[in-house]
Amino acid sequence: MEIKHTAIAGTLESSDIQIMLSKIEGPTEIELESAVEKQFGTQIRTLMRTILEQYGITNVKLKAVDKGALDCTIKARLITAIQRAIDKQNDPDWEVLG
Amino acid sequence: MNYAQQLKKLNLKETHYYKQWAALLAQEGIKGSSQVSVDVDGCFGIFEDQRLIATGAYQKNVLKYIAVDANYQDGKLFNDIISALINALSQQGIFHFFVFTKPIYRKSFEFVGFKLLAETALAVLLEAGDVSLQQFIAQVPRLENQSTRMISAIVMNANPFTLGHRYLVTQAAQKSDFVYIFVVSQDVSLFTTEERFKLVQKGLADLPNVVVVPSSEYMVSYATFPSYFLPESQDVIEYQTALDAQLFKKIATQLNIRQRFLGEEPFSKTTALYNKALQANLPPEVIVEVLPRLETAEQVISATQVRKAIQSGAIETIRTFVPATTYQFIKQNQATLQVRIQKGMQVDGN
Repeated sequence: MEIKHTAIAGTLESSDIQIMLSKIEGPTEIELESAVEKQFGTQIRTLMRTILEQYGITNVKLKAVDKGALDCTIKARLITAIQRAIDKQNDPDWEVLG
Repeated sequence: MNYAQQLKKLNLKETHYYKQWAALLAQEGIKGSSQVSVDVDGCFGIFEDQRLIATGAYQKNVLKYIAVDANYQDGKLFNDIISALINALSQQGIFHFFVFTKPIYRKSFEFVGFKLLAETALAVLLEAGDVSLQQFIAQVPRLENQSTRMISAIVMNANPFTLGHRYLVTQAAQKSDFVYIFVVSQDVSLFTTEERFKLVQKGLADLPNVVVVPSSEYMVSYATFPSYFLPESQDVIEYQTALDAQLFKKIATQLNIRQRFLGEEPFSKTTALYNKALQANLPPEVIVEVLPRLETAEQVISATQVRKAIQSGAIETIRTFVPATTYQFIKQNQATLQVRIQKGMQVDGN
């Protein structure tokens, strides 16, 4: 599934992450800027890819500015960004969420 | 933000807030504007015990007037303000942001995901969001063997396209293998961006080695060169034009543009300063050549005169100034154009 438009979720506060999804041609790209890149960069990217795959999102560029968010925060922010990008923020996909 | 701190939308028309806001900017050495109401689309502040300790504003997609009280500069409030601005803009469907700032703040913005576009001794320009300079450069049409050709460029607003513009392009086309015409994308002129772009394309359709490309937001836009569209003091124009020139040089290097042609500017002070900045900043990588304007029997052709003739309803007088395609468009849309002028569109600006 392709997203409908660019969407953003999260903030730049400490322990949070700001995620922007935008449409691109070609395979999914993840651009992560993180204060904990060395320690957790790979883990964060894997988590993001997994969530995008669960929602079946393709052809997307994910830009993230991470300020040390925990996995649960990253998941929450990414799900919000996806819901906004596919205009389903008021109609969550419960099966994927479960 | 901690619990004692509160983020609020600031209405700068309220004197109470305006005074605190201006005081904070002055304290942090940022020159505020005396006409903020026209200068800013939205503004946020963070308060602690009724006292303003951080602020930031935006105009279109440009972040402005960002200041944090020196006693609180551990980076947290800065990030909070930037978050608030980005969220406010994204709710309006704006996902591409620019910021002009002093070189010392470059790192702070890079730390929240901004990328450097251009820098001079006085200022830096950064961007963030869903499109980027590299994407823009990637989609510009290329030639075969681009790196071995003599490629030149002209940036024009063409409001509207005249025989003066065409003369400039034909001169450039004779002197180079290939010419890029970048038409200014900022939509604030009498003729809309789409109209200007189409008239340029039509007016140059017979020239095989010319391609017309939208300038996007990377050349002469609200982001790179706001004073082209808004009245400003000379020092502001000078630092903005220098940044715009540096950014052009970056684009030119990647597209193998070796020369930029300019039209001689006898009328507009801003454009004259811009030409000067290009001549100072582009060489040696990009050679700048200024071409004299085309003169008809009595006078120099300028788009300003064309717009004035539309205003006064005397379009017959400028028939010899413009290509047939432009003239036809003006004739068919004269009423619409006049309505735009009556609604306040300037004819003697840019």
